[in-house]
Amino acid sequence: MKILHMLLLLLFGNMPAAQPNCNAYLYDSDTLQYKACKLVENIDERHHQFTRAFQEAYDAALKICPWFAYAYKEKAVAFLKSGDFLTWKKLIDKAVALEPAHYLGYRGWCRLQFFRDYSGAIDDIERLDSLVPYDIGYSVNSDYHLNFARAFCYIALGQKQKAVEIMETQIRTKGYPVLVYDYYQLGIAYLQTADTINAVKNFERQSDLNEIADNAYYRCKIYKAQNNPAAYQKYKTLALALYDRRRVLSDPYTEPFNKVYRSVIEKE
Amino acid sequence: MNHLLTTVLLCCALGSCRSQRSAANSYPAQIGNIAYDPAQDQKDFPLCIADTLNQNFGSNGMRYEGEKPALAREFFSRYDATRVKKEDGLLRIRFIVNCNGATDRFRIMGMNNDYTEKRFDTTISNQLLRITRSLNGWKPIKGQRYNIGYYQYLIFKIKDGNLKEILP
Repeated sequence: MKILHMLLLLLFGNMPAAQPNCNAYLYDSDTLQYKACKLVENIDERHHQFTRAFQEAYDAALKICPWFAYAYKEKAVAFLKSGDFLTWKKLIDKAVALEPAHYLGYRGWCRLQFFRDYSGAIDDIERLDSLVPYDIGYSVNSDYHLNFARAFCYIALGQKQKAVEIMETQIRTKGYPVLVYDYYQLGIAYLQTADTINAVKNFERQSDLNEIADNAYYRCKIYKAQNNPAAYQKYKTLALALYDRRRVLSDPYTEPFNKVYRSVIEKE
Repeated sequence: MNHLLTTVLLCCALGSCRSQRSAANSYPAQIGNIAYDPAQDQKDFPLCIADTLNQNFGSNGMRYEGEKPALAREFFSRYDATRVKKEDGLLRIRFIVNCNGATDRFRIMGMNNDYTEKRFDTTISNQLLRITRSLNGWKPIKGQRYNIGYYQYLIFKIKDGNLKEILP
């Protein structure tokens, strides 16, 4: 039964952002959580997550089943997106307390993305890693593996070489599908450790995988330093063109890590 | 006896009213809405079409002239850390950008590094609020027929009284 439950969660509901599959609770004979889950099923189609009705629906679900962790996480989202760190943290902590393996990675990523809480994010992600025998997964926006998130935190805390090692290990992990900004971020990490050769190697890989203005900018910057005016001009022009086509690092809620702005490219 | 009964009924009725009111008011219509406060807000600040105030989400980043570098420059060049109390934490200022790009209804929230509530010393909070109020590069959301206003927040990461990062 547990295996079936795990399979259902893996197939339909193991991503914290996704609505859980209510039937998974039934298979666990957790009828209260099943009822709570059914009460808010597809609620996103009826109420926006910032509305009073949305909050009240999840309150009603929690009255039926106080251990319905997903409800706390969903209630927390609007507070997160409006920058209300106090209320968000109280709510998301309840979800983590109920289902640490499911929500630690999510909370860790949000601490990093929204509040640049580097130590807190590392604690959550590393605690998750110690709890589960499977891969710890990805950021909620799907841009990065959580080990990359951990690496961003170590860079911010000054441990740049450690960050490079974490990223390299992740990229070399068998079966890992390199994500859309991985090589770019690894290139930046190498630059920060003054390893230009490996930085260039990774910026070139990023160009092959998914060229973005930010990456083209760093290539132009390096060619300028290497006194290669033709390549410098080529990549500066490319960076500006890509920027204007919005082929850039982007996120709907926060300014991305290592984002390069048009004014910075122009000045290079 | 009649007097006692009346008193009991009145208490029940008042209690019922109170509980109904508290239930109805437990959340604003939208999380994060900022109601008008005559003590601190402009009386005639135009909300344009109040119901259409958005949250400032969108994949095009910060709606500020010159983008985030221009906004960050304002704070990092004007914030004076030499005359503040040496405190740590995050300070959020949330406000409205209206359909003309004007701002008002500024509200402050603070936290310690452990996410507990913090009231920053005014040498820090007043400076950040003053700079935020003075910013004039905000741009409204371009609608098909009208420009639309929105809620915006800025979070300042403070360490030893120094401004370290600006979010989002």
